[in-house]
Amino acid sequence: MGDDMIVRLAGVSRVYMQGNIEVRAVDNLDLTIRKGEFSALCGPSGSGKTTILNLIGALDAPTSGTVSLEGRNLSALSRGELSRFRRDRIGFVFQAYNLVPVLTAYENAEFVLALQNVPAPERRKRVMAVLEEVGMAGYIDRRPDELSGGQQQRVAIARAVVSEPAIVLADEPTANVDTEAADTILDLMERLNRNKGMTFLFSTHDQRVMRRAGRLIRLRDGRLEADEAVQ
Amino acid sequence: MQLNILAWRSLSRNRRRTLITGFSIAFGIFLAVTFTGSGDYSYTSMIDTGAMMGQGHVSVAAAGYNARPALSRWLPDPGPAMEAARGQAGVSGVYPRIMGQGMFAAGARNVGAVFLAVDPAREHAGHNFFVRSIVEGELFAEGDGRGAVIGAGMAEKLNLRPGKKVILTVTDRDGQLTSELFRVSGIFRTGDRAADSGFVLLPLDRVRRTLGYGSGGVTFVAVYLDDQRSANGVARELTRGLVSRQDVEVLTWRETQPDLSGLIAVDRLFNYLLQLLVGMIIAAGILNTMLMSVLERRRELGIMMALGMTPAQIVRLVLIESFWLGCLGVAMGIVLTAPWFHYMSQTGIDLSRLIGEEYSAGGVLVDPVMKMRLYRESGAAILAAVFMLTLAAAVYPAFRAGGIMPVDVIKEK
Ligand SMILES: Nc1ncnc2c1ncn2[C@@H]1O[C@H](COP(=O)(O)OP(=O)(O)OP(=O)(O)O)[C@@H](O)[C@H]1O
Ligand SMILES: [Mg+2]
Repeated sequence: MGDDMIVRLAGVSRVYMQGNIEVRAVDNLDLTIRKGEFSALCGPSGSGKTTILNLIGALDAPTSGTVSLEGRNLSALSRGELSRFRRDRIGFVFQAYNLVPVLTAYENAEFVLALQNVPAPERRKRVMAVLEEVGMAGYIDRRPDELSGGQQQRVAIARAVVSEPAIVLADEPTANVDTEAADTILDLMERLNRNKGMTFLFSTHDQRVMRRAGRLIRLRDGRLEADEAVQ
Repeated sequence: MQLNILAWRSLSRNRRRTLITGFSIAFGIFLAVTFTGSGDYSYTSMIDTGAMMGQGHVSVAAAGYNARPALSRWLPDPGPAMEAARGQAGVSGVYPRIMGQGMFAAGARNVGAVFLAVDPAREHAGHNFFVRSIVEGELFAEGDGRGAVIGAGMAEKLNLRPGKKVILTVTDRDGQLTSELFRVSGIFRTGDRAADSGFVLLPLDRVRRTLGYGSGGVTFVAVYLDDQRSANGVARELTRGLVSRQDVEVLTWRETQPDLSGLIAVDRLFNYLLQLLVGMIIAAGILNTMLMSVLERRRELGIMMALGMTPAQIVRLVLIESFWLGCLGVAMGIVLTAPWFHYMSQTGIDLSRLIGEEYSAGGVLVDPVMKMRLYRESGAAILAAVFMLTLAAAVYPAFRAGGIMPVDVIKEK
């Protein structure tokens, strides 16, 4: 129980009702994520990856059990508090169509900092630095529909990390882009992890992506099948 | 946060829908200005014309006069009332007058008529509809002379021309029958049949003598205002200053012309209801636009909430969008309405072919030229109503947006 523990799931279940049938998307799961990890959730379709990321990301609440982030029990927070908590402590990268279509690449990357009311000059410095880092500094005035899928994901990563959250959650960030773009995205996340100590938890069912993870959390039917560290 | 930028960008994304909604707001403003503007103009002109037919916007009379007008209810000393009225702000004219009914005879014929006795030295055509409408001869010059200005209808009926004699028979202050000889000095034609055949202007001092009113007696003091809207305020002030000292009553045009007042009240009510209806229809259009725009953007709004925008901020965002839509509508409304309003306030539309030269309502002659004017408070009310309706129409869409759950919509495409 070191204080470098960021996420802790204790006896977490998330049950959906599909008609009269109970679907245990997550079934009595215990899981911890530590600072600086570069972990992948993997498993077949329907194994609960997205559900787990949503629970950790304070977008969804467990049917039972507790989810805590940096020691705070998320079920104790109101909707507004959860919003602010996500804004300040969590970075999100979704599978696709991450960006706000009416905002430019720059404005998208700036979004969270603007919500945090970071003063404009500092905001500009930080946003330009990350866009540089993800190789998108040359595209700041482009709207999302003027960018390729891979470029959109890089802007999404910039947006997720610019506020230096406790953890970046990425649900199949490479599923909608070609192999080359997928490699770029993974390189990028890896570099941010290695150089800045940023914690990443992403889901995938792509073998090539799994190989790059530092830890593989294998799921089946909402349960932990294996949890292995990779060199 | 750049909520304003976000709002503007969202509005400009679906430019056509935004412009159509903006135009519907603009059209609503156009209608509201037209209805309210012609109301403000025609009510004012009716009230002013009514005042010019004798009793002014405000009048001071002997107590009980308005309930039962009679020549036996008179004001022996109008001095304090005239002085008090002149001291009020926004008063443009104060006139001592006698008003009553009598029988006018010439040759073998006679006709009953209302007479208004005025002081020719003070009388001003701008405050006296009959003086303004003289078509033959002129207003008598001497207050104690025997001149009379009669309507064209009466002139015809009694076969009178300027220079001819006419005899007035009335009951004086004590109820005694008495007669006086006058000589026609002028003939007026107002266009209103009742006024033209049953109204006579007489010299004040002569009528005082006829009725036994002494040297200063009057029926009332008529007070004219720059702006009819200040009638209540002026009446209140005069009441406070006079009623404790003299046995008088202070009346506004609403009391002296209850028919006109009722007519305006009913017309104004219908006018408001019509505008309210138009407003509701436009608000329904705004609601539809905002709701569509929210439902189309569920995923985008959900992502913004996932990133940390609170539900309250999302609600605010939609309300701000609606506010800007309202501003756009107002801007378009001004562009659409200004030339029309300018034309209607300067020139107007002559309806005399439609309604005829003679048209009176509530006993008051109505100008056949339809014009507009807009009181500042009416303009402010229209603007306030536009923004209130725009925001009210966005409340439901805004809460729909604020109620979006990010988990539900992130999966959507
Ligand atoms: N909103 C929902 N309502 C009902 N059932 C749901 C809902 N969301 C997920 N489920 C079910 O929960 C289970 C886990 O779903 P989840 O999306 O977490 O799987 P996943 O591992 O992310 O799958 P994939 O690889 O296809 O994205 C599935 O059986 C799914 O059908
Ligand atoms: Mg999934």
